[in-house]
Amino acid sequence: MKKPNTQPALHKVIMVGSGGVGKSALTLQFMYDEFVEDYEPTKADSYRKRVVLDGEEVQIDILDTAGQEDYAAIRDNYFRSGEGFLCVFSITEDDSFQATQEFRDQILRVKNDENIPFLLVGNKSDLDEKRKVSVFESCSRAATWGVPYVETSAKTRSNVDKVFYDLMREIRSRKIEDNKPGNSRGKDKSKRKKLKCVIL
Amino acid sequence: MADIADLKIGSSDFNPDKYVRELSQRCVGGQELQQQYQKIQSLGEDTSAQLKRNVYQNYTQFIETAKEISHLESEMYQLSHLLTEQRSLLAALASTSLLGGTNAGAATGGESSTDVTAEPEKQFQIEDEERRRKLTAALEKVEGCVDLIESPARSVIHEGDLLELDPTEGTAMQRMHAFLFNDGLLLAPWIPNRRGPARYKFQTLIELGSFAAVNVRDMGSVKTAFKLLAFPDTRLFQCTSNQSKKEWLEKFEAAKKAALAQEQPKRQESVATSETSPVRSSSVDSSSGMNPFEDNCAVSSPDIAELPEWLLELPEDLDVCIAQRHFEDAYALLQKANQFTFPTSKDPQLLDIRRKVDGRGRALIEVLMKELEVSPDKSLQGGLRAARRAVRLLNQLGRSSQACDLFLKLCSSILKAQLRRVKREGATVVYVKHLGGIFFSNMMDMASEFLRAFPNSPSCASALVVWAGSELTHLTSHLVKQVFMPQSPISTLSECVVTIRTQCDQLTSLGIDLRYQLDGLLRSPLQRALSDARDKAVEAVKLRAVEDKWRPTNLGNKDALTKFVMETGLSPNHMQKYVQGESWIVLSASTVAFTRQYLSLLEDCLRLCTTELAHTVDQVLTDVFGAQLSHVEVNLQSDKLGNPEKSFIQKNAAFLLSELLPLVTKTYQERLNNPCQTLEVLKTKFSWMKPADGDGGEPSPAPAPAKRPTPLPRTTAPRPAPTKYSTVTEYI
Ligand SMILES: Nc1nc2c(ncn2[C@@H]2O[C@H](COP(=O)(O)OP(=O)(O)OP(=O)(O)O)[C@@H](O)[C@H]2O)c(=O)[nH]1
Ligand SMILES: [Mg+2]
Repeated sequence: MKKPNTQPALHKVIMVGSGGVGKSALTLQFMYDEFVEDYEPTKADSYRKRVVLDGEEVQIDILDTAGQEDYAAIRDNYFRSGEGFLCVFSITEDDSFQATQEFRDQILRVKNDENIPFLLVGNKSDLDEKRKVSVFESCSRAATWGVPYVETSAKTRSNVDKVFYDLMREIRSRKIEDNKPGNSRGKDKSKRKKLKCVIL
Repeated sequence: MADIADLKIGSSDFNPDKYVRELSQRCVGGQELQQQYQKIQSLGEDTSAQLKRNVYQNYTQFIETAKEISHLESEMYQLSHLLTEQRSLLAALASTSLLGGTNAGAATGGESSTDVTAEPEKQFQIEDEERRRKLTAALEKVEGCVDLIESPARSVIHEGDLLELDPTEGTAMQRMHAFLFNDGLLLAPWIPNRRGPARYKFQTLIELGSFAAVNVRDMGSVKTAFKLLAFPDTRLFQCTSNQSKKEWLEKFEAAKKAALAQEQPKRQESVATSETSPVRSSSVDSSSGMNPFEDNCAVSSPDIAELPEWLLELPEDLDVCIAQRHFEDAYALLQKANQFTFPTSKDPQLLDIRRKVDGRGRALIEVLMKELEVSPDKSLQGGLRAARRAVRLLNQLGRSSQACDLFLKLCSSILKAQLRRVKREGATVVYVKHLGGIFFSNMMDMASEFLRAFPNSPSCASALVVWAGSELTHLTSHLVKQVFMPQSPISTLSECVVTIRTQCDQLTSLGIDLRYQLDGLLRSPLQRALSDARDKAVEAVKLRAVEDKWRPTNLGNKDALTKFVMETGLSPNHMQKYVQGESWIVLSASTVAFTRQYLSLLEDCLRLCTTELAHTVDQVLTDVFGAQLSHVEVNLQSDKLGNPEKSFIQKNAAFLLSELLPLVTKTYQERLNNPCQTLEVLKTKFSWMKPADGDGGEPSPAPAPAKRPTPLPRTTAPRPAPTKYSTVTEYI
């Protein structure tokens, strides 16, 4: 149990969503406080950053995936490694909103966990005049999934930090929950960890 | 002559009828024909023996060859492995000595040239060779991954050195060499202090579908890195340059895309083939022989589809059955195969199966025959029962005659083993009884077992009879050697022979009558033995004659007297005349001894007598009796003896002629159902010696014989009367 003491907790976040919705833009804004106007489709990028979350230094690992990924099977390998998901769509593109259902389903299937830390993110909120997806529509979908809905803008940096921090908080609380002994969920996991502690 | 016969019989246009006709024309008389017949028979025997030997030799050779082949096979494997190693070594040498670029250029140039000239299959072959070579060369450097080479479709897409970093801290962990195959990523850390050809040690092979490569944005110490997400692990690798990282990520993507592309067409193809295949076969029907490959497929595949699976697996199944000695199962499989009507088509696979199955059938027969075969190292413990199974199966396989042959051979060796255990100790009779008992009881068992195993087969039954005959010949020749010796008394012999005969007669209950053969085999030894016995008896007569004092004999006591009378079997009433007092008998010691001896001889002779021996027996009985009568006659005619003695001698003569001889002829008649002519002759010949009253009369000085042939002048005494019996003549 040396590592957790020297190394800050690592939270693994995965950006999912259709191509061109602004996943990379959001990530870059969060990482480097910059907005890239040009659209360059992503394959799979990984970022890491030390941040202070509620006074605690943690590491965030962001996996920015390809929205244009044709092959859903390949995504499984990414999704497995994620601890929390930012499911992004563009409020200016209804198709991207419809696609979120597909991503959600795939994540739940791969992670096999209804309560996986998850945020529904409506991006490009600065382009409200081009809105195609109503807040109501988005909110009700988020409600059916039991997840928060947040609208962001990578361009104006509106709510960018919030979505990452909110997700990290959820991840953190889930980890704490998982480590609690006697928890109904992940009982085996907690037991295993406890056992590990004893051994170490 | 024999050579000519050989030549003719061996020739391909041999015509048996013509041959026999020619032969019979050439030969004069039965004798010569008989000789020819024997010659041909021995030729036939030789041939069958040679055939057997050849079959056996071929069989052993076959086994040896099979062993040799498997040996060769393993050697070929080793060789091919060595060759691939050599080739990869050479390739590695070439690639290190030349510039990588030119090498690659040469390789592609070669490929392009083959593209133009070679057919698609050939090109594929070359590509495959190339692929294999690369793979082997690549993996040569990795320790512990030989099995990876064997994957038929694996090829190397990319390889290079990487530095693995700690995924959380980003610190260097170990130097890695990575191979990207079309189906996975092989990670192999460097061997720190390497010896030998391997530079890297196999760590893991991650399937292409189960990992994701992720570009890692430079941050802090972690630069030019990518991540591998292979749940649950996340591994971080640093590349030597941004260029190399880009290459890796591109190759990963390309590999994944290729794999997916391959999967999809496959799915489409499977749908397509199921749709198109009927069309294709019909097109072949209409225009056959357009493409030899397609034709072959189209024709053979429906046939193969028709063949039941059991038939395809039959040769192997048969092998297993035979090896595990499940002979019945093997036979059942063979039967099943024989009942299966093979399609008439000349399909090579069918023919192959047919041929294989036939071969297995022969192998089964061989094994079964081996079962029955007698060899010194094989125990006969199981006896004939152990042979039942093999015999039954061989019968079922239509190999009755071989089975019968082997079975009888087995019988012979069992019999031999049994007889060898009989030790010659104690009385001869006991020995013979024991030996014969074992012989015939075994033969009984064997014959009944044989008849059970080969029912309703006349040829096998005759083989049994012939076998029994030859075994009997063995036994008798042994007995003749052991028992029929000059010193053996005829009484012993007769007892032995009678024992053997009775034992032999048991076989008639199974329909096997060997009596005639037994008697035939014993005839000449018995003739010899009987003449020996006669000579001995005559000798004894002569010896006793010398000491004959012509005085009544004292048998010692009344019991002995009674015993003598009882033993002779003479009527006590008649014997009364010859009895005097308590223990005296008014007969000379020689007469008494002769009576005893002769009656015992008579008994033996009668016991031994068969139609063939009757003549010899008659001669023996007559000669011996004649010798005694001659002795009496000589003395009766002798001038040396006075009247009282003459009267006593006459009494003895009367006893011999009127009491003993009638008893002998009567017994003879009773036992053999016909009179003994020669003894009758004897009776008439010597009848002059009987007293005139025809009865023995009182032991009183009898008057001189009424009939007396040419009284000899005293001067010429002691000249004997002329007699037929040379022995007696010599004796005087
Ligand atoms: N106006 C506006 N434009 C945005 C915003 N976010 C992204 N864009 C633009 O949308 C385009 C696509 O953005 P990316 O972030 O590359 O999209 P992505 O989701 O990463 O796309 P893939 O990598 O293909 O999955 C870029 O031209 C961005 O400049 C936003 O919040 N507002
Ligand atoms: Mg992107």
